[in-house]
Amino acid sequence: MTSSASFIRVLRTAFYIIVAASGIAVLIAVFMFFTAVRDLPRVPEPLSRIIETPPTEIYAATGERIMAIGGREAVSLSRVSPYFIQAMLATEDHRFWEHHGLNKFRTLKALWVTLFEPGRVEGASTITQQLAKNLFFSFKRTYMRKFRELLVAIQIESRFSKREILEAYINQIPFGIGAHGIEQGSKTFFDKPASDLTLAESTLLAGLPKSPTRYNPYLNYDLAKKRQRIVLFRMASVGFITREQAHRALQEKLQFSRPLPTGARAGSYFLDVVVKGLEERYGAEIVHHGGLRVFTTLDPHLQSLAMESLRSGLESLDRMIGVQEESSYTGIPVSRPQGALVAVETNSGAVKALIGGRNYLESEYNRAVQNNRLPGSGFKPFLYYTAFEKLGMNPATLFIDMPVTVPVIGAQDWSPRNFGLKHEGPMVLKQALIKSVNSIAAQLVERTGPEDVIRTARRCGIESPLEPVYSIALGTSGVSPLEMASAFATFATGGIYHEPFLISRVEDMLGRVLEEHIVSGKRRLDASIVYQVVDTMRGVIDSGTGSVVKRLGFDLPAAGKTGTSDRYHDAWFTGFTPTLSTAVWVGFDREKELRDAGGLGITGSGGAAPIWASFMIRATEGEPRREFPVPPDITFETVDPATGRKATSLTVSPLTIPLRKGQEVSGDIQEQEADIDLENGAFKN
Amino acid sequence: MDWSEPRNFKEWLRRVFSLRPVALFLLVLAVLVLELRFDWIEQSVGAYLVTTNSRRPRSGAIWVAGERTKTAKQALEQILTDREASQREARGATTFTQILSTMSPEQGVMLSSEHFRKLYLSLPEEIAGEIVTPFDLLELSSNGQWVRTFLKSEGAGLRIYLLNAKNRVMQECAISYTLLRRIERLETALTGTLDDLPIFENRIYSAERFFFALKSLPDADLRSIVPQPERLLETPGHIVRVGISDEAISGFIDLGFEIEDGTRRKVLLLQGREWAVWLLRSHLKEKSSEMKQGSTERQGDRIL
Repeated sequence: MTSSASFIRVLRTAFYIIVAASGIAVLIAVFMFFTAVRDLPRVPEPLSRIIETPPTEIYAATGERIMAIGGREAVSLSRVSPYFIQAMLATEDHRFWEHHGLNKFRTLKALWVTLFEPGRVEGASTITQQLAKNLFFSFKRTYMRKFRELLVAIQIESRFSKREILEAYINQIPFGIGAHGIEQGSKTFFDKPASDLTLAESTLLAGLPKSPTRYNPYLNYDLAKKRQRIVLFRMASVGFITREQAHRALQEKLQFSRPLPTGARAGSYFLDVVVKGLEERYGAEIVHHGGLRVFTTLDPHLQSLAMESLRSGLESLDRMIGVQEESSYTGIPVSRPQGALVAVETNSGAVKALIGGRNYLESEYNRAVQNNRLPGSGFKPFLYYTAFEKLGMNPATLFIDMPVTVPVIGAQDWSPRNFGLKHEGPMVLKQALIKSVNSIAAQLVERTGPEDVIRTARRCGIESPLEPVYSIALGTSGVSPLEMASAFATFATGGIYHEPFLISRVEDMLGRVLEEHIVSGKRRLDASIVYQVVDTMRGVIDSGTGSVVKRLGFDLPAAGKTGTSDRYHDAWFTGFTPTLSTAVWVGFDREKELRDAGGLGITGSGGAAPIWASFMIRATEGEPRREFPVPPDITFETVDPATGRKATSLTVSPLTIPLRKGQEVSGDIQEQEADIDLENGAFKN
Repeated sequence: MDWSEPRNFKEWLRRVFSLRPVALFLLVLAVLVLELRFDWIEQSVGAYLVTTNSRRPRSGAIWVAGERTKTAKQALEQILTDREASQREARGATTFTQILSTMSPEQGVMLSSEHFRKLYLSLPEEIAGEIVTPFDLLELSSNGQWVRTFLKSEGAGLRIYLLNAKNRVMQECAISYTLLRRIERLETALTGTLDDLPIFENRIYSAERFFFALKSLPDADLRSIVPQPERLLETPGHIVRVGISDEAISGFIDLGFEIEDGTRRKVLLLQGREWAVWLLRSHLKEKSSEMKQGSTERQGDRIL
């Protein structure tokens, strides 16, 4: 055979192979078409129907909308900044106006890369294909799914105009943090309508849909800027803008709707509680697809103050502890203490601010409502109230601070120790609470019984399981910051309990009311006894374990109590003015002690009270000075804190004590003498 | 067409570039170029798919979301319809017992302050006073803050919250089960006669005799026995007989007034204070001999 004959044969064979392959490809395409078309989804008409799900909107007490769940906020193309539209086209599909749902050259190239370059996958989806995928298909990568997606895209192109397609696309793309569609995205990140977006803002937003979490500027600002750069230079390369404009936009400082370091929206933990409550009442379906209007008690100003106070307080704590360890992924230290803050309006129970952790994006675990943190001495006000009520005692009743041992039937004797391991001898109850003396708290609970202390806590709204053991006096059962803030509000109102609430009204989208909260106060405690407890707690702030609050500049009438759990796992400060009750907790999520760099334990006074002070100073700014109202049967007496007798001109640091009708100061300690062996501090059986 | 193998390269070239292969090639090329230029395959496929669209299933994320929205809207509508029906019935109610019967246990009803005032005023003075004193209502009305009233069931009774515009409770009161029962009996007007009601068995008196005994009591006690004579007066017809129950409910005893209105008879229930009714019964016994002398009993009436 001649060489030309063999050449011809090769060419001919190649020709037949190409013809056969083309034929097979056509047959496969036809087969796939008829297979795919059988269960191809129906395309809604008009296309704008895709955004008909009404959002559930959540509003703050000020009327400002703080969150929308589900739904879409559709805008027409004419109400979207042209920069954004150009940015999307340049980044996602610059031949959008030319193709019919399929960019053939890009598809062939992507196919080639996918088939012949192992490990590399190249996307070639047009905007119409992306729209089809978002509307109908899962994110499972299969060839059949891609083919179906292509067919739907082709149908969409045949049925709808390019403007309709682009409008549908930009109204449903995800931007992260629950924002879907450009209008929501624009409002979420820049607090402005999509029509007002600048070139810099548009390009930052246009970069997000590729990976909303990865490019979230609140989480990863640098990555978001890098992505913005890509978008800007794509715009320049397709001729929408000049390179100079791109450089200028890249340098532009972006004004986000909230400060970057705080990450999630200010009310994320608050909103979590709201949404969970709504889901329990109405079911997830109604909450996410029913289009409710939810009016909450959140005060955005107080919430942002709370967030800022907690953040700066925890950063100070980091420095005290000497935290340096950092996570390689987010750059956030992994073993930092956490915190929670809840502020409740005392005369209604409305929760005005609630923060459940240092950063919602780092951890969604809501420490403000979890009842697993021990309040320590923060529980003593319930004990003192019980003692005043049940045993007729008053803040001038004299006790001896000494080592005590309480026998416990069927268990080891209980011998609580004072914080400083020292004992100061006789002192009045007011002084004992001011100094948070554990040995006197033990003597009190031995007399009242733990059940009555629990009953008092329950009357104040504590619902967490409480163990009826003597150590309840020192806060050995877990409670939540929300419970503590609400329970102490009962003291602030002179014994009237208001159930804490976060939702004041729920309506449907037509304004028909589904539920309304009725602000109802119930007298749970005696006003005069409460006043005695509140006056004692004022002493905690004026000169006791909570005096750091005064030193930091808080000078309105307020009462409170520090709390530190055993081995420094929890540090608390809960305090109140006549109008606002606030609880602050700090500690580690896992069993780790709060100790400073020198190994000293961090107490409620050192860890939580500064955060409380920082928040309350700003939260009550401009408020008139309000005193706690004095019940008519209360009289005042000045006593010697060490003897419980009336103070004389020679008394050092006398205490002013409120007394109820019929109460007198005596300075007697015989009650203890009757029960306690003064030699060894053991209770006589 | 010559299907034999070309003998040499030249012949092969000649055959390749003959008219038909070239025409075929140009045709294929034209098809490809036209497709690239005018997307006719996509156009055709698209047009076909548009025609089959209405026959295809509503599947995929957007339809699932749509279905969820529909379900959610229906569920929400149901809740609202129930609530509105309950509110509507409550707004039309003229008595507290009617309100309680329209109320679902888990949700209450909201009334205007005017509506509550009407319900309150329709009650006998002493029953109304047990709910809330008129002076409390006067005080709340005078400062203009009381705008709405929320009622919810509490056990078998009612809890009432008088609210200001911010839904803050200004006054809270309750109607106990026993009080509701008394109100319920007040509202009762039964068709029939006293003989149909076993509670009055053997204690049925003619109207003449009852009022004779009643009038013999001090004026101050009369309202304790018949607390709302106005109700009897405004009822069409005339009283023919009166029955007295011997069962006391929280200090009150039922009195049944049989009223004849043309050919129809009905019984209206009122509650008298227990002590006053016992006093009346003793007077009825005393007066029975006096009555026998000067009055005639209606035939068929039973006399104790």
